[in-house]
Amino acid sequence: MTSISISAPSGSRLLRSGFLLPAILVAIVAVLVVAPLLRILVTTLTPDGIAAWKAVLVSPLSANLWWRPLLNTMILGFSVGGGCLLIGGFLAWLVVMTDVPGRRFLGLMATLPYMIPSFAAALAWGTLFRNSRLGGSAGFFETGGLGIPDWLAWGLIPTAIVLIAHYYSLAYTIIAAALSSVGADLVEAGQMAGAKRPRIFFGIILPVVTPALIAAASLTFAGAVANFAAPALLGLPVRMQTLSTRLFGMIETGQNERGFVLALLLIAVSALFLWLSDRIVSGRKAFVTVTGKGGRTKRFPLGAWRWPLFVVAAVIGLLTTVLPVLVLAASSLAPQSGALFSNWTLHFWIGEGGGEIAQGQAGIFRNPVLIEALWNTIRLGLVVAFTTMLLGLALAYTIVQRRGSLLATVLSQLAFLPLLVPSIAFAAAYIALFGAPIGPLPSLYGTFALLVIAASAHNLPFAVQSGRSVLGQISADIEESARLTGAGLIRRLFAIIFPLAIRGLFAGAILVFVKMVRDLSLVVLLFTATSPVLSMVAYRYAAEGFMQFANAITLVILVVCLAASLLAHSLQNRVQKWKSP
Amino acid sequence: MNALATGAADAINIRSLVKRFGAFTAVKDVNLSVPAGSFLVLVGPSGCGKSTLLRMLAGLEGPSEGEIAFVGQTVSSGAGGVIADAGRRNAGLVFQSYALWPHMTVAGNIAWPLKVAKWPREKREKRVREVLSLLGIDALAERYPAEISGGQQQRVAIARTIAPEPSILLFDEPLSNLDAKLRIEMRSELMRIHRATGATSVYVTHDQVEAMTMATHVAVLNNGRVEQFGKPIDLLRNPQTTFVATFLGTPPANLIGVRRLGDGLVFGETTLAPAALAAGHDAVQLLYRAEDVCVGSVAGAPSLVARFAEAAPIAGRTMVTAMIGELRVTAMADGYFTATPGEPIPLSFIRTPDAVFAATGERIHQ
Repeated sequence: MTSISISAPSGSRLLRSGFLLPAILVAIVAVLVVAPLLRILVTTLTPDGIAAWKAVLVSPLSANLWWRPLLNTMILGFSVGGGCLLIGGFLAWLVVMTDVPGRRFLGLMATLPYMIPSFAAALAWGTLFRNSRLGGSAGFFETGGLGIPDWLAWGLIPTAIVLIAHYYSLAYTIIAAALSSVGADLVEAGQMAGAKRPRIFFGIILPVVTPALIAAASLTFAGAVANFAAPALLGLPVRMQTLSTRLFGMIETGQNERGFVLALLLIAVSALFLWLSDRIVSGRKAFVTVTGKGGRTKRFPLGAWRWPLFVVAAVIGLLTTVLPVLVLAASSLAPQSGALFSNWTLHFWIGEGGGEIAQGQAGIFRNPVLIEALWNTIRLGLVVAFTTMLLGLALAYTIVQRRGSLLATVLSQLAFLPLLVPSIAFAAAYIALFGAPIGPLPSLYGTFALLVIAASAHNLPFAVQSGRSVLGQISADIEESARLTGAGLIRRLFAIIFPLAIRGLFAGAILVFVKMVRDLSLVVLLFTATSPVLSMVAYRYAAEGFMQFANAITLVILVVCLAASLLAHSLQNRVQKWKSP
Repeated sequence: MNALATGAADAINIRSLVKRFGAFTAVKDVNLSVPAGSFLVLVGPSGCGKSTLLRMLAGLEGPSEGEIAFVGQTVSSGAGGVIADAGRRNAGLVFQSYALWPHMTVAGNIAWPLKVAKWPREKREKRVREVLSLLGIDALAERYPAEISGGQQQRVAIARTIAPEPSILLFDEPLSNLDAKLRIEMRSELMRIHRATGATSVYVTHDQVEAMTMATHVAVLNNGRVEQFGKPIDLLRNPQTTFVATFLGTPPANLIGVRRLGDGLVFGETTLAPAALAAGHDAVQLLYRAEDVCVGSVAGAPSLVARFAEAAPIAGRTMVTAMIGELRVTAMADGYFTATPGEPIPLSFIRTPDAVFAATGERIHQ
């Protein structure tokens, strides 16, 4: 009762004084998200653009430019979505719903692959399975005398396997969360009804988590469709094109209009499937929570299957986390890329140039370009993490404060728009908008600033989401009680909201940092020689056949990501002393 | 299967039941039995083991020792574990969280257990309509659980449980998620359903009012033990321990610690009762009902001065709470009474104590 009388007058006060922040936010979001997308659309409607549409969709070229890449992309999307659902779902079921031994360990293993960049897995795959068909040195297996057929070395199948190994942990996270929300009571109510285990599984558990399964499938599908690194590293050598590699090829060879058209088509494909899955799920949102309790989950006894299933899960975890890292590490020490475990040398790390190895190139820590790329990468990660979380918090605050108003709806819809846009297409849109000078502003193409802006915009959905969850932990009462003391907005932000939100913000910022450090598909188009980042340098080395350098740099990226995660973990408990760890 | 018809064996018979979770013993040597058609309420503070006991009755947990028999048939035992599993003991459980399956409509929720039990379609549909109208929720049949209110969800949960016509109904604090007014409504509703189905019911609650109003039999649990078992009115009139005496009854009864001095039992300087009541103890606790303590001085009755704390009007009289030092005493005043908090008021003990307990808590019988 009291909350009504309190919030009504203060709400109107906010409306009078707090108009500035929303106005600025709308402008920022418009420039960051709407303008590039509009611009890329408008560009393809010019005469040149129309010609590009025709070339891509209805011309002798279109089979190569559009249909075949589309087919490959779809095959990849569906096989990765399906594979992730199977593996992620299996692991989630095992960890959440059964009494399998080492549940914590298995759960941790299943979340790790998403922390490892997809190009790390692709590089590791190449190091092991590469065959001599394309010249260059063969991989570990073929050097060891094991003939590797082309289909296992290159193209769709290895790409799909690598992407599944990367994205299944996303599916695992989503499905495990849904499964743990299935309270023991729901299962026990089924038992009371006399239902046997299969009946309970298919009649209760499966239908309840169906929305999560659809979400997991569609997100991994979208991830696979948008992924650039894996098809580029494993597919391009045998001319297997997906929409994202095609798009990259077009822009890299200066055929910008065709690239823009492909970007729009890629956005359409990805958005269509995400939208479809959202439609299917939205009618069933009601499933999620019905009652309060239900923290308990029911664990089914596996009996004799406990250890065999544990071994299966552990092997999946090891193959997708530890093994790639080991392969990369061994490869970065081996002078001959096929002989992983002989003649180890630190040359690729700290060797001086001019020798026989690696065509006389120096090790990565003696290469000034690489040192610069390392600093650039960390700088990019830090700056983007900061801007993203700041923007995300401001947006989330405005959206939550004005829940139900048109402004809030528009802001939240716009902020979530980048979710539908694959990052490489998003980069293309930024080239369309900022590739040329706008009025008095110089062209931003190739600058560090453009990377920051594009990355911040692309991370907006995540930022707003984590901002909202952070604010959700701060009850309205706390804020209102501060408001009753007469503290203004800024004062409340710094004295109340910020200290309470810092932990969540920090966690979000670290995630953004990690995402940026290991990102390839966004920077691959925006990168130039003046603003190199690690992932891009690694990709270049890999494309030129210097596998050891590429692998070494990828390890550096992994170490940076890991260090950031550990740092976050250890700092979190210190930042808010009143919370027990 | 109808428990009422068998007569001879008790509907529920619990013998020497023990449940351990690791080193912790949740239920300690419980013995209870109730005839068919009774309404047994297990009441006690949180953590007293009442929900564990209920889950063992439901077959969701196996006992560590002892056994449970339904109508003479052993369904669980320490040696055999869960002999008849949850679905095969002809019992239904209403969960505290309701546990409605969120992906099924109200009608679907009620029909699913019947489907599992392989009821033919027509009989099933007829039964669903029957229980829907018994609970007065016909209009909700096609709605989803998330689309209806808490009170309605509660009704659906009950309808789902009684649909397969179980001979034993189990309730796990079913009303705890409802607001006060709805709770009183549902209380009468549950008693109506109990009469309509004739099923033996076991009802777990921490609310002694629910126990006193609904039960034919009450078991007061504390620390995993049954403190006292019997008809509600017997427990109220003849509490065997101080725990039962203070846990049951509205307003709560007073326990006053006194010591023997000469031939009187003395609190502070005031003699409250004759020493004969203490039967060999030097320090005892006297049980006075609120209606036996009167605000104001009464000629011939021992009286103490207390500091007024609060007053609540009840049925034309006023329930007054006052502090004697650290001791909280509840007394009654005629008409509407009020005072300033902290103000000294005299309290008179107008009747002899209702019961006398040893300092350790057990009843001293005269």
